Amino acid sequence: MEKRLGFLVPFLLLIFLSGISYAQTYTCLVCHSAMKQKIKTEAGEVVNLWIDEERFMNSVHGFASCDTCHKLFSENPHQRPAKTMPPNLGEAFQKIRSKAKVDGVALVACIECHPEVYREYSESIHGKNIMDKKMSDGPSCVDCHGSPHYIVSRNSKDSPVNKWNIVNTCGNCHENEAIAKKYGYGLHIVEKYNESFHGKKYRLGHENAPTCVDCHSYHKVKKWDDPQSPVSMVNRKVTCGKCHKGATDKFVVAITHKPIGKDNPVPYYAEKALMILTISVFAFITVHVVLEIYSEIRDKVFRKKEE
Amino acid sequence: MEKREIERFNIIERLQHVILLCTFLLVAFTGWALKYPDVGEYSSWWIKIWGGAKKAGIIHRVAGVIMVLDFIWHALYMAYRLLTGKIKIRAATTVIPLPKDVIDAIQNFLYFFGLRKEKPRFGRFSYAQKFDYWAVFWGMGIIGLSGLCLAFPVQASYFFPSWSLNWIWETIAIMHSDEALLAIVFILIFHFYNEHLKFHNFPMSMVWITGRISVETLKEEHPLEYEVLKKEGKVE
Repeated sequence: MEKRLGFLVPFLLLIFLSGISYAQTYTCLVCHSAMKQKIKTEAGEVVNLWIDEERFMNSVHGFASCDTCHKLFSENPHQRPAKTMPPNLGEAFQKIRSKAKVDGVALVACIECHPEVYREYSESIHGKNIMDKKMSDGPSCVDCHGSPHYIVSRNSKDSPVNKWNIVNTCGNCHENEAIAKKYGYGLHIVEKYNESFHGKKYRLGHENAPTCVDCHSYHKVKKWDDPQSPVSMVNRKVTCGKCHKGATDKFVVAITHKPIGKDNPVPYYAEKALMILTISVFAFITVHVVLEIYSEIRDKVFRKKEE
Repeated sequence: MEKREIERFNIIERLQHVILLCTFLLVAFTGWALKYPDVGEYSSWWIKIWGGAKKAGIIHRVAGVIMVLDFIWHALYMAYRLLTGKIKIRAATTVIPLPKDVIDAIQNFLYFFGLRKEKPRFGRFSYAQKFDYWAVFWGMGIIGLSGLCLAFPVQASYFFPSWSLNWIWETIAIMHSDEALLAIVFILIFHFYNEHLKFHNFPMSMVWITGRISVETLKEEHPLEYEVLKKEGKVE
C-alpha cells in the first residue's frame, strides 16, 4: 500500500501541475495516438493523423495543448465551435493556404510564438515562393523542421535542422531534379559542396566546417545575387570573414557551386592533363616494376647456374 | 668478403631525407581521408585515428610546412655546395638528367625482355633514381605551392591576379588533390619496390640510415661512379 502511495503522489501532482492543458491534450490523444492508418480528407488528400504520444510529449512543444495550434476545426470532421482567431493568424493562413493539407491554421500557428522568424521567413525566397507565388512545394516551417508534433532542439541529432542533418534536409529539394528544373536552379549545388573542402571536412565530422546555413542563412535565405543575401558579392567579405579573418575580394569568389565544365577551361583541362599525367606515370612505373621483378626472378632463379 | 664501404650520403642529406620521409607519411595519412571522405565508415574511422578532422587538418598543415622548409633547405644546400665547388657537375655523378638516361632506360627495358645480356652501366644515380629525385621537385612545385595557397587562402588571394580568379581556386584544389595521389602512388610502387623489395635491398636498403654503401655494391650498381672514384684514388 505504501509503495502504491509513493507512486501515486507524484503522479497526481504531475496531473495537477499539467492541469487542464494536459487533460485536453489527453482527450485528443485517446483517438489520435491510436489512428495508425492513413486517412483520406474530404478534399481527397491522404494524410497521417497519428500522433506518437511519447515523442510528442518529449518534443520541445510537448508542454502545449493541441488547441494551442489547432485553433479551428471548421474544416475538419470534429465540427467544434470555432474560436475567434487572432487576425494576424487569419491573414497568414490565407497566404500559406497553398501548402495546407489538413489544418492550415495550425500550419501558421507557429507565428504566434515565433513572430520574428515569421517576419524573416516572409521576406525570404522560400517564404515568397509560397506566400506570393502560391506554390504548393517549397518549404514552410514543417518542411525543414519536421513534423510540428515532434520538433526537437536543433542541437539534437534527431532534428532535421541539426548541423549533421541540415545538408540532407536542404538537399531534399536542392538535389531534387524535378524541383530544380521547375525553379531553374543548378542540380550540382549539394554535389559541389560535398566535393569542396568545406563539404569534405563536414562529412568527416569537422566541428567548424560550414554547412549551407552558415553562409546562406536560413529563415531569411535569399537568392545568392540578391544584395540582401549574405553570399551576395556585397556581403561576402563579412560572411566569409566569420571564419576567414580579413577575407579579400579576391578570396571570396572562391566558392561558386558551379560544376567544372568547358566554359571554365583552365580547371577543366588542368584536371584532364593531370589525370593523363597520373595515369601515364602510374602505367610506366607499374610496367617498369613488373618487368624488373620478372628479370630479377629470371636472373636469380634461372640464370644462377651460369655464374 | 668485401667489407670496405664509402659514404654515399652525408649526415645533412640523410637528415633531409628523414624529415621528408616523416612529413610525407604524415601529410599522406592525414590527407587521405579528406580526399576520400565517403568510403563508408572507413573514412571516419581513419580520421578518428588522427584525432578527428580538425586535428588531422592541423597535423597536415604543420607537416606540409615543415616539408616545404625541408625542401628549401635542400635546394639551398645543394646550390651552396655547387657554388662553393664542394660538388662538381660530372656526367658520371650528377643527378641532372642527361640524354644517356634515355638510352639507359631503353637498354634496361631491353635487358628486362632478355634482348640484352648486360644491364646498362649507371653513374652515381640511375635514371630511375633521377626520376625519383626530380619527382620531389615536381611534387613540391605543384602540391607544395597549391597546398600553401589552400592552407593560407586569404593571404594567397593577395597574390592572385584578378584575371585568374575565375579558375584559380578550382585549379589549385585539383592540383593539390590529383598530384598528391600521384605522389602517393609513385612512392608506394616505385620507391618502395626499388628501395625495399629488390632482391639485394630486401627488406630495406640501409643507405638512408648509415649513409654508407659497400664498394662491392657500388661497383655493381653504379659502375661509372666507381670508375671515377677509383681514378681519384678514393676506392680501390
